[in-house]
Amino acid sequence: MRIIANEFAKMRHLRLGLLTLVLLSGVVGLTAFRGLASGMANDLSDPAGFAWKILLAGLGFSAGLISPLIIAAIASRQVEAEHSGNGWLLSETSGVTPGRLCRAKFAALGVLVTTSTLAQSLILVAIGFGVGIASPVPVEQWLGYTTAIIVVNLAVLGVHLLLSAVIENQLVCMGIAVIGLFIAVFASALPEWLVMLTPWGYYSLVVPADYVGTDLVYLDIPYLSVLALGLAGAGLFTLITARFDRREA
Amino acid sequence: MKYVSVEFVKLQRSLSWAVVILLPVIAVASGSMSSVASDGGLDDGWYTLWIRSIGFYGMALLPVGIAILASLTWRTEHRNGNWNALMSTSVPTSAMVLSKAAAVAILSALMQVVLVLTVVGFGKIAFDLPGMLPGRYVVSSVLVIIASVPVAALQSGLSMYFRSFAAPVAVALVATGVSTTALLTDMTAIIAVPYATATYATQLGTSLVEASNTACDAAGISAGTAGLVAGVSAAATTVIVIVTTWTLNRSDTRA
Repeated sequence: MRIIANEFAKMRHLRLGLLTLVLLSGVVGLTAFRGLASGMANDLSDPAGFAWKILLAGLGFSAGLISPLIIAAIASRQVEAEHSGNGWLLSETSGVTPGRLCRAKFAALGVLVTTSTLAQSLILVAIGFGVGIASPVPVEQWLGYTTAIIVVNLAVLGVHLLLSAVIENQLVCMGIAVIGLFIAVFASALPEWLVMLTPWGYYSLVVPADYVGTDLVYLDIPYLSVLALGLAGAGLFTLITARFDRREA
Repeated sequence: MKYVSVEFVKLQRSLSWAVVILLPVIAVASGSMSSVASDGGLDDGWYTLWIRSIGFYGMALLPVGIAILASLTWRTEHRNGNWNALMSTSVPTSAMVLSKAAAVAILSALMQVVLVLTVVGFGKIAFDLPGMLPGRYVVSSVLVIIASVPVAALQSGLSMYFRSFAAPVAVALVATGVSTTALLTDMTAIIAVPYATATYATQLGTSLVEASNTACDAAGISAGTAGLVAGVSAAATTVIVIVTTWTLNRSDTRA
């Protein structure tokens, strides 16, 4: 617990609160803009909930466009400090092994990312009420998508924490984030196995609503695949950080 | 010029070539692949291929790529006491700032050249399109290169200020998102902001977003739009270089 608190203390100088705010406002802002630009305001009284569908479709798109790079930047900043200040060695000499330090970083950053992702959904639902959407909130879709996207964001965070810890040159990490952005945005043009093998592909897989032909419809979220991603991600993260513990700093 | 070549010596082992080559190649490949996957082909030939390639690239990736290149250029100065060496060198601050910005601008220009060559390669080899890429897109690319200069100068300044590699990249992504959104809502004054100038230049002769309800017809390529891009870029670059030089002049050594 003390190590996690220490990670929060490091964040103050790294301005990670600001980056988290950027993640939150970027996704909410882009979703709201897309909603208004797509004519959401003209269909507020649609009993089938067209306006909610627009918001959910926009959220799915915005999360895939913004989250991969900002989460990579958050992970990179938190780990970069250890590389530049020789923090790995310093921590190890005080009894905190590199693997344990990585797990503490994940726990601390996970709180930020999860809070921001929850807040995205809550603010957008509030915006929906605020602009006067008449139909009831599709609670199942909002809850399902929010849970799924939290798992995806945490998986991406875990991957980037490990990458930033292993590769000192953060160019490589940011380069991988840009490739992740491509996978998230252009997943529909990629083979399904590739989409399912990378955490970024899940941004596209969990999109809760989209146009099928000319109709905007709710899509089924593949909960089983998301659960598999969560379990595989947790297992691999634990395994790899356990190996860090046996590595010399 | 001597100082600019020194910057390229520093970049030799930095993997900057990977950004310059891979980013535009992946942009063109993914754009054309998604076009084929969703529509079954390039209905309007070179026009469709160009829009699919430059659309997302201009609205999100170009400034991010420039930001990564700028972070790379300043990375060496933030490591191993090099900042103090930089502070104590006899090279004028303005020359230092200009040479860094010029190195980033040259690399971003190469990125645009790679994008054009990749579009031509995909058009001729992968899609067997008739004729050649229309000349207006080559002109548009020259304007993109010009509009990338203030972004290069600004990102170079940010990378000088932030020791972190990733923070200036995140700033570029967010600033580009804001400026693209402003362009889509017809806030033309935003063109004065370097990120918007670059996005505006990439979309010349195209349409920003295909869906009619979010469309913002991009301007055509004319002497007026070319003059606007060149004028705004020159003014913004001058201001950014002066501010960056002033800031660096007031910086101190680091413990």
